Amino acid sequence: MDLKAQTQIERRDPATVMRLSRLGSLHQCRLSFMRQLTRRMAHENWAFSRPKFDIDAKGVGCAVYTAHGPERAYSLVAFAHDLPPEKRSDRVIADAWDATFALFDGIPSEADIERLSKNVPLQEAGRVSESELSLSRANRSVRLWSHVVDALAAGQQPDLEQIYQVGYLMRTTAVYGSGKFGAADREKVADRPEVYAPFQVEMLSVFLTRTFVRDLVQHMADAKGGSRAVKLDPDIARWLGIGNSTGLGMAPFIVNHPILFNNWIMAREKAIARVRSLESASESEVDQFRELFQRSQLSISWWRSQHPIQVEKLAALTADLDTLSDYLDTHALTDAFPWNRLMTWSETALSTEGQEFLASLILEPYGELVDGLATCMADSQAQAFVIDGTMSIGQARELIRDTHGWALDLDWEARENCARAWYVSEEKLEPRMGERFEEPIAEYEQPLAPARDAIAAYTLMGEWDESQTVAEFLLLCPEHRHTLRRVQMSRNAPYGEIRDNTIGSAVLPIDMLRAKLSFFGATHFDPRSDRWVRICMYSGAPYPEELTSENADFWVYPQVPV
Amino acid sequence: MSFSLNEMEATAKRATRGAGYSWGQAEEASKATRWLCMQGLDGAGTLARLLERGLTLNLAAHRPSQIECPWNAEDDLCPLSAGSLLSDSVHLLKTNPIEMQNVTMPALLLPFVSNAARLLQEALTVEIDGVQVVTDGDRLMAPDTLPDTAQRVVVSRSASPEGSRMRHTRAYPAPEDWDVLNHFAHRTYAPATEESRLLGAGAGLSDND
Repeated sequence: MDLKAQTQIERRDPATVMRLSRLGSLHQCRLSFMRQLTRRMAHENWAFSRPKFDIDAKGVGCAVYTAHGPERAYSLVAFAHDLPPEKRSDRVIADAWDATFALFDGIPSEADIERLSKNVPLQEAGRVSESELSLSRANRSVRLWSHVVDALAAGQQPDLEQIYQVGYLMRTTAVYGSGKFGAADREKVADRPEVYAPFQVEMLSVFLTRTFVRDLVQHMADAKGGSRAVKLDPDIARWLGIGNSTGLGMAPFIVNHPILFNNWIMAREKAIARVRSLESASESEVDQFRELFQRSQLSISWWRSQHPIQVEKLAALTADLDTLSDYLDTHALTDAFPWNRLMTWSETALSTEGQEFLASLILEPYGELVDGLATCMADSQAQAFVIDGTMSIGQARELIRDTHGWALDLDWEARENCARAWYVSEEKLEPRMGERFEEPIAEYEQPLAPARDAIAAYTLMGEWDESQTVAEFLLLCPEHRHTLRRVQMSRNAPYGEIRDNTIGSAVLPIDMLRAKLSFFGATHFDPRSDRWVRICMYSGAPYPEELTSENADFWVYPQVPV
Repeated sequence: MSFSLNEMEATAKRATRGAGYSWGQAEEASKATRWLCMQGLDGAGTLARLLERGLTLNLAAHRPSQIECPWNAEDDLCPLSAGSLLSDSVHLLKTNPIEMQNVTMPALLLPFVSNAARLLQEALTVEIDGVQVVTDGDRLMAPDTLPDTAQRVVVSRSASPEGSRMRHTRAYPAPEDWDVLNHFAHRTYAPATEESRLLGAGAGLSDND
């Protein structure tokens, strides 16, 4: 009997993966939430309809788009507005938008639409109900919208170069789910297979929004050009994604949901380890990898940013693609453990951005090995919230050393190490980050520096007997309850904590935003400052009526034009 | 007006923190409030009345003075302190009931008892001055209202509840209680300044292009 153990490549060390610079370089992959959704909808043969499109020549009115799954339907109720240009802002402090949306659970009646028409356009100032699953809004890209309307109205197709470079006609500026502003809690839908994976409701809402935007631009062009207007070429329309502008509000999410975030990273790391553990790659697997590498280079060539940090990273990534291309020209990937060799090589040959691009790309030929991990990405461990008071102080301190060892020697009193503080503004009740020593915000600080807090608890527990219990400690020191809870969660969530300083003078919140958005499946990250970023979603994806099993997965990689 | 349970939880967390409890206690109070609302009990009113008591002025006087039973404090006992200790010390219930004395807003103990029942995987009875409440961690048998203070509360292992309250998916706080919670929550918000408007949210390149 052959007892030779199969070589098993371990998952990457959380100490490597969970650095902010790496999290801020993550790329979409097979497990991304948009791709999970399009694969499922194609596999289950979802049907789509547009029961209402009641929009006038000025672009004002309402439309409904319904997605019919095997058991249930979901409808995007869209309101289009005539927004004066001076009111158009992506910032969360805006109070009017070009279009506003709710995702309705089922098929809305006229009474539902009437109710929503009085609330959805107001966004945060309105109320939705348990029948709604998400609330969102979008603004036009001024650059591209008028170009596309004018071109179509004049009987011409829009310029592809401009479409490649902007990527979308509208960008959403918030997609609120999970009980926000009166909408249904996640619990209402969490046991439905089609929306069990994270953010499927939001991803569906954006998928339908993209269709609405395509229809609206056509409608406006038809209204303007009359009989001269032409229909937007579907091959051009496909490159139009939906933009998204994401600010600081999203950054605390990955800190506030350590188990959920762990599950995302863990799924991807397990997938990477599985592929690295393959002893050989078949010819068709290698061919597919090479093809998608070619296609991804085209996508990256369209990626634009003016932000100095991203400009530098893009230059490095572009150089990485050349380096990787040279490697692939000289290596047939026929050696033993080809993916592991490639990954190991990349650790010294490529930038962090290039390494993470590659780590996502090697997963592509292995749907059967990877896609099942998607089921592990939701957080179903509500009981992990409960602290185990019987744990000894010695054990708790050991857990802190394991996760936050890097932070033990940091001087947390030094100004540069605690220069920032996260707080919630009175004005919009949204998270912000400020200068602790320059603004009166310290007393309002949110608990978004887990490492600092862990070291504080560690130090204090050092004065206790190691055999005493966490329950005894917390009875007298309840200010450390949130920290001990997180510390205990780390036992089952090794990738739950960012292993970097989230309040230091050098922290870049855009790294936290990108980590989250990469799991959505976003591309073309374009930071607009150190704390907000624009992205593109669904560029290249089939529209609902085009969706098939053949195009449901690799749409993120553009086909090289013949 | 109905609120989602997430809205209830988020507001309860900010309110509890705003009233001076630690972040960890605020997390627990908010989950507890949500749980009460889910059971159709008045979570918002219960928490609002607790926060109005102002126990955080001297919280040490309102927490159990030791882990050994009975649990009492110099002053009346805060259910968030006693509840979290109960949840942290579930193993004690394996040998003896836990007795508490002079508890304010004892309904807030119930979510912690529910946690304990789940950890022990058996049902627990809470006797609140003679009123019996039973939970197995999932189901709850309890009257619609509970007193604002209890002289004596005893938590002990018991037979499973014979029925359960209907689950609710929304919270219906009384407007005045909702206002109280928002009043406390407001203390966690930093006043806006022009600087924070520009810098705090990270204005940068144009957002209208």
